Amino acid sequence: MSAHGLTIREAGVSVRRPLVYGLLTAALLAAVVASLALGAVKVPVEAVIDVLLGREASGPDRQIIETLRLPRTVEALAVGAALGVAGAILQGALANPLASPDVIGVTGGAGFGAILIIILFPGSIALLPVGALAFGLFAAALVFAIAWSGANRGATGKVILAGIAVLSLFTAGTTGLLAAYPERAPSAIFFIAGGLTSSGWEEMSAIWPYFVVGFVAAALLIRPLDRLALGDDVAGSLGSRPHLIRLGAAIAAALLAAASAAIAGLVGFLGLVVPHVVRMAGGTSSHTFVVPASALGGAALLAGADTLARTLRAPVEMPVGPFMAVLGVPLFLWLLRKVV
Amino acid sequence: MRRSLLALLVIALLALPAGAQAAPRIVALTPFGANTLAKLGVEPVGVGQTLGGRERLSPKLKGVPVLPLSHPNGPNLEQLASLEPDVVLSSPTWAKGNESMGDLGIRVLIREPRRLRESYAQTLAIGRLVGRARAAEELVKKTKARVAMARREIDSHPRVMVILGVGRTPFVFLPNSWGGDLVAKAGGELLTGGVESGSGFERISDEVVVAEDPDVIIAVPHAEEDDIPSLAEYLRSNPAWAGTSAVENDRIYISVDNSLLQAGTDVARTIRKVRRVYLDNWPG
Repeated sequence: MSAHGLTIREAGVSVRRPLVYGLLTAALLAAVVASLALGAVKVPVEAVIDVLLGREASGPDRQIIETLRLPRTVEALAVGAALGVAGAILQGALANPLASPDVIGVTGGAGFGAILIIILFPGSIALLPVGALAFGLFAAALVFAIAWSGANRGATGKVILAGIAVLSLFTAGTTGLLAAYPERAPSAIFFIAGGLTSSGWEEMSAIWPYFVVGFVAAALLIRPLDRLALGDDVAGSLGSRPHLIRLGAAIAAALLAAASAAIAGLVGFLGLVVPHVVRMAGGTSSHTFVVPASALGGAALLAGADTLARTLRAPVEMPVGPFMAVLGVPLFLWLLRKVV
Repeated sequence: MRRSLLALLVIALLALPAGAQAAPRIVALTPFGANTLAKLGVEPVGVGQTLGGRERLSPKLKGVPVLPLSHPNGPNLEQLASLEPDVVLSSPTWAKGNESMGDLGIRVLIREPRRLRESYAQTLAIGRLVGRARAAEELVKKTKARVAMARREIDSHPRVMVILGVGRTPFVFLPNSWGGDLVAKAGGELLTGGVESGSGFERISDEVVVAEDPDVIIAVPHAEEDDIPSLAEYLRSNPAWAGTSAVENDRIYISVDNSLLQAGTDVARTIRKVRRVYLDNWPG
């Protein structure tokens, strides 16, 4: 009877996964179309298609689509996917449902690096993405150094506590800078609140290698993370090295989250919630499903939320965070009620 | 004899003109408030630290204690209380601190104009506060005459976008901001994408910058003189603005003296500078 029940359940899950993939792909396509077609300036759909196909289009239309909307859409997809994957592998590696890039200190470090440039070196503002990336990775390295030394090296609890301590340290530094130079704070607001900018391909062309390395590392960690989900002892008996898997996942997540912060500022929520949503929707915690589905879901959510943030009060642009919550929280709560 | 002396003293006190009464002890947190007091011949007991140092404060205020300010609390309340002010001329920027100052029994008056006409009304109000109403009227008259001179023969109205802050997420100055109003008074056609906001600033889409194609972009970052070349280069490199007339004609300017950011009493000089340096519509 139980064997029969299990078979039905497995069959249900195997149907749900393609369905979830289909829905996420449809949401992603809709978000991309909306992101390219909508904005503060009305550009006819035919003109959008003409520009994308490389055909003739009027000067401003071409510039708006080619220089502003297309790079911004690509950034939204990359950052959304990166944060979704970072959250998925961290939650798996640390066996903690509350894990997100915040936990390994990246967010706090990236925020401090960016605010340092904005407040103390405004003349070097072009280095803002570099500052965010460098300090994000430095903060993560600090967490790893603390967590993987001394007693209980690499233990989940130790990683999380080290992360919280480092996050607090950098957050205090950021707050101190903002308090010391209050008149310079407005320039920092959008970075802290999180949001994409229309800065062409410049930032993406500098940051993309970090995304690539992070995504490849995450893909390679999918199977080891599934083994880790069975517990450290079982994973060890299967030939895996739990501490090494955990470290690899944390490094991959740090690369993805720091690269994301360099482009879009401190975008919270996504890395925490999207993996849970796809896990609940797919009815499985298998990383073979959760990691790619989180990439699709994160990309769709950020691209959709960014379109809302720049069109709802157009031409005023708003931070993207609240819109991600508006789009994501109702779905999350509905799933929470239905599934858990 | 003693009664006669007392009677004489009472008569003398009653005979004193209102203007000679002891002026209240005033702390001026804004450069506008502090410099207006200086121009009226009144020395405040304290002034607020101005953005970018003391260069915007009148030399007459040299020696007056300077209070550091933090957002949104304004001055340290203990430092403020030690100056025993009756009145503080403050700004909406220090909204939270204004409440606390009121709780200390200090009268808080907002004296941070965001339009030129507000500055006239606030000058007169400060004059009445310190018993120098006549001097304030004279000051307003003189300022209006200087502004009229600074606005003479405006024969071109370039489209101007004035942006606040650094980075790729600039806020634009709206007509109800000090800088926006002065640029408009200098003959600039202020580009805002049709946005309105009570704060006087709003972040607008770069798509609007492309569509409205400003002739001139004036950036007002929180930066130092030394930062100007690199900031100008950074702004010119913004791909979103690359096709605008401002970039093509190399008309991106950086203003770091805060004269567009925060109200002052050197209005005519600021308008002249905007016309000469940024808008290129100064006669001759």
